Amino acid sequence: MTSDKSGRRRRSSSIIYQEPPESLEQISDQSALPNLNSQWVNAKGAWTIHPVLIIGLKILFDIIPGMTQEISWTLTNITYMAGSYLMFHWVRGVPFEFNAGAYDNLNMWEQIDNGDQYTPAKKFLLMVPIVLFLLSTHYTHYDFTYFTINFMALMAVVIPKLPQLHRMRIGLFSDPPDE
Amino acid sequence: MDSQEAQEYLTNFVNVTSTQFHKLPGSAIFLRYVKSSYQDDPVRSAVELFLVLFAIRYLLAPKYSTKPNYVKLSEEEIDDLVDEWVPEPLVAKATPFEDAELEKRPVIVGPSGPRSKLTNGRTVTNLASYNFYNFVSNENLKERAIQTLRTYGVGPCGPPGFYGTQDVHMKIEADIAAFLGTTACIIYAQAFSTISSVIPAFSKRGDIIVADKAVNYAIRKGIQISRSAVRWYEHNDMEDLQRVLAKVTKEQAKKPLTRRFIITEGLFENVGDMADLPKIIELKLKYKFRLILDESWSFGVLGRTGRGLTEHQHVDAAEVDMLIGSMAGPLSAAGGFCAGSDEVVEHQRLSASSYTFSAALPAIAAVTASETLMMLQTQPELFVQLKENIRSMWTQLDPRSDWMYCTSTPENPIMLLTLKPEVVSSRRLTIEDQQQLLQDIVDECLAQNVLITRAKTLPAGPSGAKTDVYVPSPALKVCITLGLTKKEIEKSGIIIRHAITKILTRKR
Repeated sequence: MTSDKSGRRRRSSSIIYQEPPESLEQISDQSALPNLNSQWVNAKGAWTIHPVLIIGLKILFDIIPGMTQEISWTLTNITYMAGSYLMFHWVRGVPFEFNAGAYDNLNMWEQIDNGDQYTPAKKFLLMVPIVLFLLSTHYTHYDFTYFTINFMALMAVVIPKLPQLHRMRIGLFSDPPDE
Repeated sequence: MDSQEAQEYLTNFVNVTSTQFHKLPGSAIFLRYVKSSYQDDPVRSAVELFLVLFAIRYLLAPKYSTKPNYVKLSEEEIDDLVDEWVPEPLVAKATPFEDAELEKRPVIVGPSGPRSKLTNGRTVTNLASYNFYNFVSNENLKERAIQTLRTYGVGPCGPPGFYGTQDVHMKIEADIAAFLGTTACIIYAQAFSTISSVIPAFSKRGDIIVADKAVNYAIRKGIQISRSAVRWYEHNDMEDLQRVLAKVTKEQAKKPLTRRFIITEGLFENVGDMADLPKIIELKLKYKFRLILDESWSFGVLGRTGRGLTEHQHVDAAEVDMLIGSMAGPLSAAGGFCAGSDEVVEHQRLSASSYTFSAALPAIAAVTASETLMMLQTQPELFVQLKENIRSMWTQLDPRSDWMYCTSTPENPIMLLTLKPEVVSSRRLTIEDQQQLLQDIVDECLAQNVLITRAKTLPAGPSGAKTDVYVPSPALKVCITLGLTKKEIEKSGIIIRHAITKILTRKR
């Protein structure tokens, strides 16, 4: 992977490909400024906001009339997982213009801590969904249907966070971009 | 018995740990959780147990970097590397050719003009400055500039967006927009950095630029800064341009829409010839590209009233999306501008780095540009005279010389004279040989009191490195001016021609 400079090579039948290493120009653009898009995960209060949001979601779902505990926990779980998937794994690049699009090919999870693995922020961000899942299965009283739904939601955010899947892309409906 | 003892020890150990465990705060909750979660469902419990184990493993794993070729260095190694490092000199050692050139470099004393005094006391005919209309020697302009200096001071001391904009800047913007017939115009403090700033303001990483191979250094730098994908087409070859545009359009058909630009020059700095604007406009409309046209050398020169290439080839300036020009050359002021639609101009006020981050144009230059622009509009005879002077020089050089020919168009007051290909091939001249010959011609002309120069170009650099790098052919640069009469121009032309012949026929 380190010496592969030939771009996103992929056999036509394969749907998985890996982002190639950055070009020299991209590296220099990336290091021109600190990455404001991913830096905040190490900022003060960035960890607290996760439990706060989860509790907020739970309260929000609880006040809906006729809501049972099972559904409320499952909805909280799914909403958090969907939000975190969208934010960390779906959206690529940086929403602000400060480094000429040098991160356009990377999602936020890959931008955090410059792509280092097992950093405190990444450990925390992986723990939150697991703990939330264990809590929701506990409070859905281990109903198999809820368990399955919650587990699938959990997998959607845990699998892309694995170090083995760093910079891996699944191109089901699209070709890998050239250049 | 050993086994009995071990068993007893084990039971004892289990009991002790169990009581210790029960004493731990929260152990009751944990036990209750484990008990209630089992629920006669081993598969699900196994999944949960696996998750917990995975989480613990993830928590305990050590941090590592995924950057390729990442090497962790110790403090001593870093110190060693720092000690070993020898910086390259900021300026490389001069070559013998550069040394010789530096020694013979003429220095002008006093004001520059059509006739300039050198430090060695001689007065020479200056055909090496862009003083086409001889505004340099205009006393009214000097007076006006001094007045402006007294009122406004030397510089505006701030970028345009930060207290740097003065009424004179807004006036020159309005003047140029009205002159060209575009809806808006924005001025920059430096002509060179205008185009290198306009290109990255619009074209970003992932966008596509199709550019002429012979574009000047400033454009190349702009393209490089923009980080866009660039495709080159052969110099002024409209068929090749069409081929490239068709190819890009085909490749991009299924991809997300990106911005696409064609970049070319009005009068080419490196070659001196003219772009075929009507054809380029036709192609850009057909393939849905935007056009960035650098008129740095053609604005104030081409056309019946100096509006540039658009006027010369009867194209509406509003058809050109971004029209860049210079106020430093023919207008005898300083700075550059970009004319276009309101959207194009307003976008640059926040996104063009040279506009946002460098100090505004000094008021003197803005006023001078306004004045000279007015003079161009009110004195159409200037263009007639300049054309005549160009023709006088042209007839002395291009058709009569056996050795050199002029690559510039007959309308261009900057005549670029290059060695004929047959001369180069028959004598097997390298680029360096040609430069040396041209320098000898320049020296010979100077000995005859005519100051001309070589076209000195900067290396194209890595921006074009992906394809083949364009190397401009070595050329003599003769700049025509209105400050000299037809007779004087002809005389200088004869001197230059004889110098060329003398140098190229001398015995080695």
